[in-house]
Amino acid sequence: MDAKDILGLPKNPFPATQEKKPRPQKETQRKPDGVHREVYALTGGMAPLMPTIEVSHLKKRQNTEKEKISWQWLPFTSSARTDNLHLYHWVRVVNGVPPTGDYSFAKYNKSVDVVKYTDEEYKKHLTDPMWSREETDQLFDLCERFDLRFIIIADRFPYPRTVEELKSRYYAVTRALLLARAPSPGDVSGNPIVKEPYNMTHEVERKRALSVVLSQTKQQEQRDAEILAEAKQIMESRMASKNAEDVELPVNQIGNEGSEATAHAESISLLNTNHLSSSTAAPPTAECTSTPASLRMLRVYLRTHALEQMVQAANSSAGLRTIKRVDQTLQDLGVHLKPKVPTKSVCAEHLELRKEILTLLNLQKQLQNREAEASVNRDNSYAETPSTPKRSFRGDVERSLVPDSAGFGGDRVGKRDHKRKAPGRFTDAPPSPPQSKRPRKLKSSDG
Amino acid sequence: MYGGDEVSAIVLDLGSYTCKAGYAGEDAPKAVFPSAVGSIYQAGATDEVKHEKDSDSMYDSENADKIKTRKLYVGTQALGYRRDHMEVISPIKDGVVVDWDIVDNIWNHAFRERLLIDPKEHPMLLAEPSFNTPQQREKAAELMFESYKVPALFLAKNAVLTSFASGRATSLVVDSGGGSTTIAAVHDGYVLQKAVSTSPIGGEFLTDCMMKSLESKGVMIKPRYSFKRKEIRPGEFQTVDLDIPNTTESYKLYSQRAIASDIKESVCRVPDTAFEESGYANVPMTPYELPDGQTIEIGADRFKIPDVLFNPSLVQTIPGMESFAGSASVSGLPQMVIESINRCDADIKRELFSSILLAGGTASMLQLKERLEKELMEEAPQAARVKVLASGNSIERRFSVWIGGSILASLGSFQQLWFSKAEYEEHGVSNIQRKCP
Repeated sequence: MDAKDILGLPKNPFPATQEKKPRPQKETQRKPDGVHREVYALTGGMAPLMPTIEVSHLKKRQNTEKEKISWQWLPFTSSARTDNLHLYHWVRVVNGVPPTGDYSFAKYNKSVDVVKYTDEEYKKHLTDPMWSREETDQLFDLCERFDLRFIIIADRFPYPRTVEELKSRYYAVTRALLLARAPSPGDVSGNPIVKEPYNMTHEVERKRALSVVLSQTKQQEQRDAEILAEAKQIMESRMASKNAEDVELPVNQIGNEGSEATAHAESISLLNTNHLSSSTAAPPTAECTSTPASLRMLRVYLRTHALEQMVQAANSSAGLRTIKRVDQTLQDLGVHLKPKVPTKSVCAEHLELRKEILTLLNLQKQLQNREAEASVNRDNSYAETPSTPKRSFRGDVERSLVPDSAGFGGDRVGKRDHKRKAPGRFTDAPPSPPQSKRPRKLKSSDG
Repeated sequence: MYGGDEVSAIVLDLGSYTCKAGYAGEDAPKAVFPSAVGSIYQAGATDEVKHEKDSDSMYDSENADKIKTRKLYVGTQALGYRRDHMEVISPIKDGVVVDWDIVDNIWNHAFRERLLIDPKEHPMLLAEPSFNTPQQREKAAELMFESYKVPALFLAKNAVLTSFASGRATSLVVDSGGGSTTIAAVHDGYVLQKAVSTSPIGGEFLTDCMMKSLESKGVMIKPRYSFKRKEIRPGEFQTVDLDIPNTTESYKLYSQRAIASDIKESVCRVPDTAFEESGYANVPMTPYELPDGQTIEIGADRFKIPDVLFNPSLVQTIPGMESFAGSASVSGLPQMVIESINRCDADIKRELFSSILLAGGTASMLQLKERLEKELMEEAPQAARVKVLASGNSIERRFSVWIGGSILASLGSFQQLWFSKAEYEEHGVSNIQRKCP
C-alpha cells in the first residue's frame, strides 16, 4: 500500500466494486428482521437450506399406503338415546372395516343426579306447610329436566314462586333425604348440602341489595360519585398538611450537611419547634441530622435499632479495615461496642465518639500518605524527569484538616456521599465510588 | 376439538316475511323466498293434487266438500308473475301461524322444488317464534311427522338460535324482522318466557309507513306489472301504462310494497337522536329512481321512518297511518329492552345488559346499533355495562336464526336430542314439550 502510494500508482483498481458486492449480499442476508435475525445468527448467518423434495418420492408414495381408507355414509346409533333412531353420517372406513364402538359424542350426555323420593319418604320427612305434594313433584321434575338451572325452573314453574323459595325447598328436601337415608349421620356430614344449608334470608337480602344497586338512576350515581370525590379531597388535604411538616425535615437534613455548628443548632431548634407544634410522634426525636430515611418512616422504633442503623450509615463510607480499626480503638479505650444503657444522650455520645475515631484514623492515614510522598519527592528531587506532575492545589485542603465536631465533613473529603451532594463541595475529579474501599489518594495534597 | 358431526339435517325457518331453508352445517340458507303465497280460488269440485299424498288424507276430503278450491303459488318466481284474481295471503298473523294449509304448501315447495330433497331421509330442525304456544308446536310436529314422515324433528326457539349463532349461551335477543319485533332473554340456552315481549312494529310496518308517506306527498308508486317501457330513442325510455283489470288489490299492494321496501332499505337511516320535524326540515334530499323512471326526492322521511322503532307515537304524524290502533300501548325499542331485562332475575341482569344481540332484517338498518346503545346507556344503571352486538355482515344479521339452527343441528352432542319418529309414535305428540324445551 505504502509503496504504491509513494510510486503514485492507483490503488486496487477494483476495491470499490469488490467491496460493494459482498455488502449487498450480506445485507440481503440480514434483511429478515425481528426474530429471524437472531435465528440466522444461530445457524451461522446463513439461511437454512430447504429440505429437498425429490420428484421420485412424489411418484412412488401413492401405493405405499398400508391401509385402504374410504369414507362411507353409514347409519349409527348412540347410547345417549333411549330409542333406536338411526341417523346417517360419514364414517372413515379402514380396509373395509367400519369403526366399532359407541358414538363418540355420547360421552357428553351428562346430567345432574336429582334425588327421587317415594311416597312414604315424603310423608315421613318432607312434608311442609308451604309446599303441596304436587308442587314439590313438579319442582323435582323441572329440576331434572333443566339440570338445576333455577332461573329457568322459576320461569317455567306453573305456580308463582321466587327463585329463592324454589332453591330453599329443593335443598331442604335433598338434605332431609340424605340425612334420612344415611346409615349414620357421620357418613353424609361431608356432603356440601349437609354441611352448609341454604340460607334463604341471606339470599333474599343479597338479591334485594343487588337490585337496588342495579336500579340506581344516573342522578343518584352522580351524587354518590360527587360525595366520594369530596371525601377524597378532604382526606388528601389532611395528608398534605401532615406531609408539609415532614417535608421540612428532609430539607433541613440536606441543608445541614457539612454546615457549621450554628446551622446544626438551628436545625435542632427547628426540629424541636416542629416537634412541639406537631402532635404526631413521627419526627424522630433522637439523632437529628443523621436520621436515615428508613427510620423516619417508622413511628416507633427501638433505640438500639436506630443506633445500629446510624452506625452503619456512618460506616458506609469507610472501608472494612477502617471499621475494624474503629472497633479496635473503641475497645482499647474501654468503650463497649454497643452501649450498655442506650439512652438518648448515651447513644448520641457513642455515635460522636465513633465518628471522631473515624476522623482520627482517616487523618492518620492521610498524614502517612503525605509523609510518604514527601519522602519520595525529596528522594526524587534530583531525578531528571518529573513523571509525577505536581497536582494542582485543589483548594479544599483546609477542609480536610478541620475536624468538625458537629459535622463529619472531614472524613467526607474526597469521598462522595451520593446522597448528599452540596454543590461545589466535592472534588469533581474522577468520581470515586461512594463505597471506596480505601481512601482515595488525595490529589489535593499539601502543595 | 371439532365438535361437529353432520347428519345432513335440514334447517327450516318460517318467518313472517321470508322463509329460509337449507342444509345444516352451511353458513347461509340455500332457499330464501317470501312467506306470502298467491292463491287463486277456482270454482269447481276438481281437486288439485298438490303433491304426492294419500288420496284419503283429510285435506283432500275437506277441499272436496268445498265448492271452491285453492291453487297456491309459492315462491319468488310464482309470486312475481302476475295472474288474474290472484290474492296474496300470508299464513302468519302476529307471529303465529293461522293457516296450516299454506304452511304445508310452503314446506313442500321448499323441500321438493328448492332443496330437491326427500324429507323422509333428513332430520328436521324447525325454528319457531319465542312465544309459540304449545298447541302450535304440537300442530307443527304432527304435520311434519304425518305428512312428511321425517325421521327426527326438533323445534328450537328463534332467540336461542340467534344466541347460539353468536356463540353465547346467555344474551338478550332483539329480533326485528318483517312482521314484528321480539325481545327475548336467553339464559344458559333456554328462553325465559316471562321476559319475552313483542311489538307489531317490524319491517313491513315501516314499509307501510314509507308508502303512506310517499302517497301523501303525491308520489304514485306504480307496481311493476302496470307499465311497460319502450325505447323510443337510444337511451330514452317512455313509459306506457298498461291497464290490466282483474288484478287484485292485495297483489297491487304487494307489488307496491316490494318497491317501497327497496326504497326503505337503500335510503333510510336511523337518526342519532330523537326525530323532530323542525330539526330535519332542511336536510338534503336523496334522489331515488323508481322502476318506471320517475325520480323522487326523499328528505326528512329518511330519518323519520326508522325512528318509529324508537318512538312509535311518530306514526300518528304520518298521514294515512293514524288508524294504527296499538300505538298507545306500544313502547319504543329501548324501553322494551329495559322492561324485558327488569323482568329477569337480578343475578343475570348484568350479563344480559352486556350481551344484547341484534338480529333480523330490520336490524341491518344503518346506525341502529349505535342509536340503541346510546339510548340504553342513558336508561340503564351505571353498574351495568351496556353492549349491543350485531354481526357486521348484513347476511348474517338477516339469517342469524337460520345460522344458529345450522350450527346446532350439526353438533355431535346435539344428535341425542332429536325427537324421533319412534318416540312420537310411542309417547304421542305432547312429548315434544319435554323434549324440545
